Amino acid sequence: MSPQGRVSLRGIRKLFGKFVALDGIDLDIEPVEFFALLGPSGSGKTTTLRMIAGLDTPDEGTVTVDGVDVTFAPPGARDVAMVFQNYALYPHMTVRDNIAFPLKMAKVSAKSIDGLVHEAAAKVHIDDLLHRRPGQLSGGQQQRCALARAIVRKPKLFLLDEPLSNLDAQLRLETRVELKKLQRNLNVTAVYVTHDQEEAMTLADRMAVFFEGRIKQIGAPSEVFDRPNSVEVAAFIGSPPMNIVPAHLDGSTLTIEGHAVRLARSFDRVPGPVTVGIRPSHLRIDAGGIPTQLYLSENLGETRLLNLKLGEVLIKMRVTQSEPLADGETVPITFDSESIHLFDAETGLRLEAG
Amino acid sequence: MIAHRRARILRTVVLMVVASTLLLIWVLPLIWAFVVSLKSEREVLAYPPTVIFSPTTSNYADALFGDFSIVDSLLTSAIVSTATTVLTIVLAVPAAYAFARLRLPAKRSLGFYTMATQMVPPVGLVIPYFLILNRFGWLDTYHGMITVYLTFSLPFAIWLLVSYMEDVPWEMEEAAFLDKASRLQTLWHVVIPQVRGGIAVTVIFIFLNAWNEFLFAVQLGGNTVRPVTVAMYNFISVEQTLWAKLSAAALVAMLPVVIIGIAAQKQIVKGLSVGAVKGGGRR
Repeated sequence: MSPQGRVSLRGIRKLFGKFVALDGIDLDIEPVEFFALLGPSGSGKTTTLRMIAGLDTPDEGTVTVDGVDVTFAPPGARDVAMVFQNYALYPHMTVRDNIAFPLKMAKVSAKSIDGLVHEAAAKVHIDDLLHRRPGQLSGGQQQRCALARAIVRKPKLFLLDEPLSNLDAQLRLETRVELKKLQRNLNVTAVYVTHDQEEAMTLADRMAVFFEGRIKQIGAPSEVFDRPNSVEVAAFIGSPPMNIVPAHLDGSTLTIEGHAVRLARSFDRVPGPVTVGIRPSHLRIDAGGIPTQLYLSENLGETRLLNLKLGEVLIKMRVTQSEPLADGETVPITFDSESIHLFDAETGLRLEAG
Repeated sequence: MIAHRRARILRTVVLMVVASTLLLIWVLPLIWAFVVSLKSEREVLAYPPTVIFSPTTSNYADALFGDFSIVDSLLTSAIVSTATTVLTIVLAVPAAYAFARLRLPAKRSLGFYTMATQMVPPVGLVIPYFLILNRFGWLDTYHGMITVYLTFSLPFAIWLLVSYMEDVPWEMEEAAFLDKASRLQTLWHVVIPQVRGGIAVTVIFIFLNAWNEFLFAVQLGGNTVRPVTVAMYNFISVEQTLWAKLSAAALVAMLPVVIIGIAAQKQIVKGLSVGAVKGGGRR
């Protein structure tokens, strides 16, 4: 039997009043893949997840799961489980009853329920808390309870709506690792909504980057990080995000703030304005480089983040050296021309050499 | 430090005085009625009122088992009030859920007209209801009386319960739907347990209103359906008012209300203390 949980969205459009929440979403999620829907708030990622769950229906387009059109099927008919941002645990039930609820609704025999509940609870390490009520659990334990409730009936699709956002930073890191482990052990397709690009990068096998109701890029995290296909994606991925600087391109000569830089590649296009993307870690201090003014230096422990003024633009540069620099001091910077990304100044789309 | 403590003591004292005064205003008639119920009819009318007298329980015996026994009427009141309460809750819970959650055409205006029925003064409805029940042949019948009470209690109960239902996080219901629960199962397993407190409050209100109702009971009832509020009128006649027996009957009639109030109060507190999501709204 081939693994289940293949999801396809075709031409999904959703309006809330006059607001276009989703505008032509096409997406394929493969079985047992950990797929992240990433984007800023209001970009349509949660709405997309709700379409897959059946909690919302599209105005246009189709949703299929394992080849079956489920566009208008009710949530219960889809064999999906979901972990909500606020967990949505039933406060009047014990942890045991919360986890058992999906089994009861699926009319699983009372005999097998107990074993299955224990099994699911053990997987998320809350088997000693079964008698408690959600109100008596910590945030992390509540989250585990919600996970156990989702995995107990072994759904073919596992949907997670920002499940880590209510946890504190330390717990979030720990849970992230466990979540990934859990998904691998269960061998189930997971669709994960987050606005945290770091979470998406570390968890996902592939991800879709959402902006204003559209998908801007789909790919493996490294692919999206290394080759962002638009300025928007480039500026969203990475921590701190990529520096975006206006420049002028003429063949293989790039001019930034009056300083010409020779590129290894040549671009066959009409000379004109472009947008340059440079990651903070790809900048170096070089005596003959482009002069910038130090605006503020942030100490991050192992590294230092320099906020530099390049003309009117504020850019960030990551340095490991801890040479003392005073605010206002001139810092000449340079970069490897291979490491920069060029985008069309008008469309914002990636430019390829040639 | 001392000034603080002094201010706190003063605050407590003022609060106690205000609370005691209010309590006295409420309790005094009850105490008076209780004292009167222990006197003989002669002593009740003595002027100045006697403070020292030999108490008797004969008024209670008369009220319960005498010529104007209120036992049958207590039973009638219990049947009418219980039936009204049960029917109201059975109908109001799904209706309130529908108002709170479902996308219905004309939901807003329906909600308004539901509430609008509460704005009509009851006295304006007595004659229309009399004529309607008369036409149906429902005067002096249990189903007639209960139906009339339902027309008041149902809109009120729906309005009260809607606000409780709206406070249940929608995600919890969505979670239940994903777990293959139907609407009814979701209502039963997820929503109702969380609005128990609200239902308890509604039960008290509806039961008390029905139990204490007089205007419609006296006009639309009769010898078959004579609630205790009407039956007590038997102690008042043109020639005399039997104050002691009336007081005894009134106190007996109050007893179920008090017991239900105390019993349901526990439920309310329980309903309020249930709440899993930290900082969650009213439950």
